[in-house]
Amino acid sequence: MLKRLLEYVGFEPGRLTARWISASEGAKFASTMDEVTDKIKSLGPNTKMRDEIL
Amino acid sequence: MMNLTKQIREQAKKLLEEKKVDLVIGFGQGTELARTTPVFIDSPEGVSALTWGPFCANNLAKYLVDYKNAPGNVAIVVKGCDSRSVIRLLDDNQISRDKIVVIGVPCAGQLEWQKVADEVKPDATLKETVDNGDSFVVKTSTGDHTFNKKDYMLHRCLVCENPNPVIADFTIGEELPVKNYAERFAEVEELEQLGLEEKSAYWDKQFSRCLRCYACRNVCSVCTCELCVFDQMKPMWVSKRTNLSENTVFHITRAFHVAGRCVDCGECDRVCPMDIPIRKLNQKIHKDLKDLFDSPTPGSKEGLLSALGEFSLGDPEEFM
Ligand code: SF4
Ligand code: SF4
Ligand code: SF4
Repeated sequence: MLKRLLEYVGFEPGRLTARWISASEGAKFASTMDEVTDKIKSLGPNTKMRDEIL
Repeated sequence: MMNLTKQIREQAKKLLEEKKVDLVIGFGQGTELARTTPVFIDSPEGVSALTWGPFCANNLAKYLVDYKNAPGNVAIVVKGCDSRSVIRLLDDNQISRDKIVVIGVPCAGQLEWQKVADEVKPDATLKETVDNGDSFVVKTSTGDHTFNKKDYMLHRCLVCENPNPVIADFTIGEELPVKNYAERFAEVEELEQLGLEEKSAYWDKQFSRCLRCYACRNVCSVCTCELCVFDQMKPMWVSKRTNLSENTVFHITRAFHVAGRCVDCGECDRVCPMDIPIRKLNQKIHKDLKDLFDSPTPGSKEGLLSALGEFSLGDPEEFM
């Protein structure tokens, strides 16, 4: 639901990843992390909600 | 609609005289012809302040929260959409059923007061309003005006799901048929069709205008946290700076905090001084909840669980 809402206000699909991983699923965690970092790298830096903190 | 006003007054008077309630919350004539104001009546003599017509857009349900710890009972006048708020407040344990008396009024629609005010002379006084099915006739001291519902009603009324209250101890007047003048999610679908950058630009333009006055939160009958994340200082979840970035956080968070409980009353949208189309965020969530979980509008039935607060094995799992 949140992902759909974010896309609706103009965030790229894939900017947010949410996945259910149990503590015993080390390999799934590692591969998910690889997927997420690849995805984020391919999207480039986020430009939304990036105002400077004064 | 004089007749309905009379019946509401009679009902209120009876409740106060018989001491069934100590207070009646309803609509009273406002300072302008096309506006009403909430009135709080505590004596049988006061009921003449109550009125009814196509200018009763306010959802009064949130006031019930103010009286939840007060001694005595409270009666409230509700329309169809407001009644969903009453159910949600009951289901959220914000109010108790035995302390409230619901006076339900089947609602023929509410007009946008600005549009009406544009056409009526500023010094005119209201004589009577008549519901003619697809239009209202507003009779004033300077002449009669006809307002087509399709062009003058609030958007929420064009797509009204239940003009008849879904919870009521007393119903005033006859039940009305459901009549829609627009597709419920047409505006959301239009936005969904836009490209990513267009969507982003559209919402940036809206969010950047937000004053963070929090009127949208304060009016909302499902925003009932005593300590709201937007007010909290330690930790400061959301900064109080008013800029596009923080406003975007505010809007996404607000919309998501009411997801699954928002009754689609449209009040947040109506009260926004900056005309930010807040309801289009809530409606996106309503649409997704319908598509993904086939869930009915929150508050449309008693005892419904919040769509995001219940789990079933058949739920779609986009995150496994
Ligand atoms: S949404 Fe329906 S019940 Fe609510 S004010 Fe409009 S017509 Fe009346
Ligand atoms: S009512 Fe409008 S301006 Fe005020 S906080 Fe809400 S969206 Fe912003
Ligand atoms: S979020 Fe807006 S539409 Fe939903 S219940 Fe609150 S005020 Fe009504």
